[in-house]
Amino acid sequence: MKDMMKSFKNNSMKWRYFKQNLFFGAVRLSALIIALALGGILFYIIVNGIGAISWDFIIKPPTDSMTKGGIMPAILGTIYLTIGAIAIGLPLGIASAIYLTEYAKQGRVIRLIKVGINCLAGVPSVVFGLFGLGFFVIFLKFGSSILSGSLTLGFLILPTIIGAAEEALKAVPQTFREASLSLGVSKWQTTYRIVLPNAMPGILTGSILGIGRAAGETAPIMFTAAAYFTAKLPGSIFDEVMALPYHIYVLATAGTNIEATRPIQFGTVLVLVAVVLSIDLIAIIIRSYMRKNKRW
Amino acid sequence: MDSDIIIKLNKVNFYYGQSRALTDITMSFIKNKVSALIGPSGCGKSTLLRLLNRMNDLIDETRVEGEILFEDKNIYAKDIDPVEIRRKVGMVFQKPNPFPKTIYNNIAYGPKLTSMNTDDLDTLVEQSLKQAVLWDEVKDILNKSAMNLSGGQQQRLCIARALAMKPDILLMDEPTSALDPISTAKIEELIEELKKNYTIIIVTHNMQQAARISDETAFFYLGNLVEYNKTEKIFTNPDVKQTEDYITGRFG
Repeated sequence: MKDMMKSFKNNSMKWRYFKQNLFFGAVRLSALIIALALGGILFYIIVNGIGAISWDFIIKPPTDSMTKGGIMPAILGTIYLTIGAIAIGLPLGIASAIYLTEYAKQGRVIRLIKVGINCLAGVPSVVFGLFGLGFFVIFLKFGSSILSGSLTLGFLILPTIIGAAEEALKAVPQTFREASLSLGVSKWQTTYRIVLPNAMPGILTGSILGIGRAAGETAPIMFTAAAYFTAKLPGSIFDEVMALPYHIYVLATAGTNIEATRPIQFGTVLVLVAVVLSIDLIAIIIRSYMRKNKRW
Repeated sequence: MDSDIIIKLNKVNFYYGQSRALTDITMSFIKNKVSALIGPSGCGKSTLLRLLNRMNDLIDETRVEGEILFEDKNIYAKDIDPVEIRRKVGMVFQKPNPFPKTIYNNIAYGPKLTSMNTDDLDTLVEQSLKQAVLWDEVKDILNKSAMNLSGGQQQRLCIARALAMKPDILLMDEPTSALDPISTAKIEELIEELKKNYTIIIVTHNMQQAARISDETAFFYLGNLVEYNKTEKIFTNPDVKQTEDYITGRFG
């Protein structure tokens, strides 16, 4: 009897280990596939694009109907537009999230607003582009400009930032709020001094996604900010700019010589990826600096 | 006798939504004494404690009836700012909850933000930490994060943080339930010391603790105040049978 029990137990342990290994294997494989796909794309871009990269490519404007020369105006344009989008989306998004989580009385209206924000996140970017054209470019008479483009991109990334900020604010322990309030510190001071600093790393994490999107989108800036070609650098926020994603789109679909400019196209893609990664990197550095004090 | 009363509850009812958590509570807390609130979980003792500095305001859908008089004013009157009340009625929570800031800034946080006279913040920090008997342990690491302290030290830091606001009353919500016996003993000694200058109202699940440190004890059951008496009396010869049953462990 005892032996039977033992062997049964062993068997069942073996079976359980087998199931465990099977499961671990499956998740490991999934992770590997993702990593390979990502690596593959990156590898493909680098191999095809590295040949076009040179110092002149980075610091010179395009020449010969954009079949030669560099992409400096587009790099600068994308950086301007991204910074503009962050400058608009981040404060507005954080403020909305603070209202929604800290101040608003939770109920049907707030739930409805939250559903609306989530829907906004799923709206195709070309819709934002058309809205930007109608509202900022034409109605507010900002013209096709850095300002219009930044506003449109800022609105595009707003749902992402609000979502991230809400989650980050909710993750701040309630005990911190209670401790601060119990000292006779006002609600706004509590939010500003305790809740927000502790939520900031989380807010930035989510915002990185938004930043990448703002830098890489073509449709929203097509009608609101991007120029087909301009060798002149923007002098004010009311000027049109070239932008990397739109430049790639133009070269690959409507360029003067699509086949001959393939290397330039891949070079531009590579630069775009590098620009997005550098902006992300800055956000990550700021975040890790803010995280130093965070432990609970 | 009346001049010794610091805070007085008059027919207080309290509701979470539809359900009543406290029924017709009338009682007075005496200045510079330690009053313990005891009773089984859910009896309303923590709710009552949080009424005294309007912390229950933070919970949606709650309602208070009756009046709570502090300095002859009803703290639930329309023209009273809860922020003002909390300045005068400090609180220490069940789990130590220091801010993720330096030890110094944990203490200085309240005074700095509440337009207290903060000419000499360093002195105030030192004073508060000394009152909470933590100064000797932390005086060389004031600029280190408070999160590095042990649980017992963190709780004393929270007491020091509350004391820095120079409150009249200190509310303690099971302040030692998350601590080891040695830390607990230290906090109990501290409470003994603090009652010279402060009125302390403490919720505790630990009957021995109530017997050791308090002057007055109130026993709550199902939202009712069953008995409120001198601690000695409660623990030796209570007036109500229910109290005796609870204290001797026959229910609860």
